[in-house]
Amino acid sequence: MPPSFVSIDESCDEAGILGNLMNTKTMLVNETEDLPGDFAIWIFILAEMLVFGVMFIVYAFARSNQIEVFNESQLTLSRAMGTLNTIILITSSYFVVRAVSAIKSGNSRQSAHWLLGTIFLGGMFVAVKLWEFNEKFSAGITLETNDFYMFYLTLTFFHLMHVLMGMIILACIVYKLKNGDYSAKEHFGVETGASFWHMVDLLWIILFPLIYIIR
Amino acid sequence: MNKQLNRFATIIWLALVILTIGTFLIGEEVTAGKTVMLSVLLISLIKGQLIANYFMGLRHVSWLWRGIILGYFVIVGGMIAIAYLN
Repeated sequence: MPPSFVSIDESCDEAGILGNLMNTKTMLVNETEDLPGDFAIWIFILAEMLVFGVMFIVYAFARSNQIEVFNESQLTLSRAMGTLNTIILITSSYFVVRAVSAIKSGNSRQSAHWLLGTIFLGGMFVAVKLWEFNEKFSAGITLETNDFYMFYLTLTFFHLMHVLMGMIILACIVYKLKNGDYSAKEHFGVETGASFWHMVDLLWIILFPLIYIIR
Repeated sequence: MNKQLNRFATIIWLALVILTIGTFLIGEEVTAGKTVMLSVLLISLIKGQLIANYFMGLRHVSWLWRGIILGYFVIVGGMIAIAYLN
């Protein structure tokens, strides 16, 4: 309808147009949300991904000089255990999503339960990894056996440290959830911890096929 | 609304598990080769995107962040592919 057909006071009309413009502007701004959690964790995530990314590429190029050694050594790894650990990490990431969803609904008890489930799965990941390490060390394999095992042990141990760090972060969040420090309106810390845990999962998504599958 | 989001997250989780089992089966059943390597890297790229966009929640934020994660997977995956194709 053309504006001239609307019979309203001029000052009101102006306010209406301004109001509409403000609403449109708000809608445009809200189309993209802020990053979940603290911005600093995202800088940390990018830095960690960069370090791991460089190590992945170095592994791939180191392999191209000793393909036989890498392929033979890789076949001694348990792909079933690698797959099991991948499913454990993916499931733990899903639990974290549910924990964030629960706190956004104001259910801090449920959120804490999902995070405790995540920590339990993190513990399972650590147990499987330690079993794998024990198997290799028992067979007399060390960092010095060959370049493949050097990369395998270093990369997976470095990643394992991040899993342990994530478990500690999530345990702190559970403690704060139990204390009622987070709510539907204030759950910044939960999102920050969740983002870190997802990064651990994201890195394993490349690490698993690179070390266990591709040859 | 929340129930719907949770159901969607469950579907994403299921897709990730299926893709992981797919990767395992490729490693177990198929002889090593360039096609296998590229397929596994492509599966990793898809899994990475699912985690970043739907689990990390990046689908709601600026395209720049989604681009960084996608770029990371493309560059790292691409470099790995180049090293394996050499």
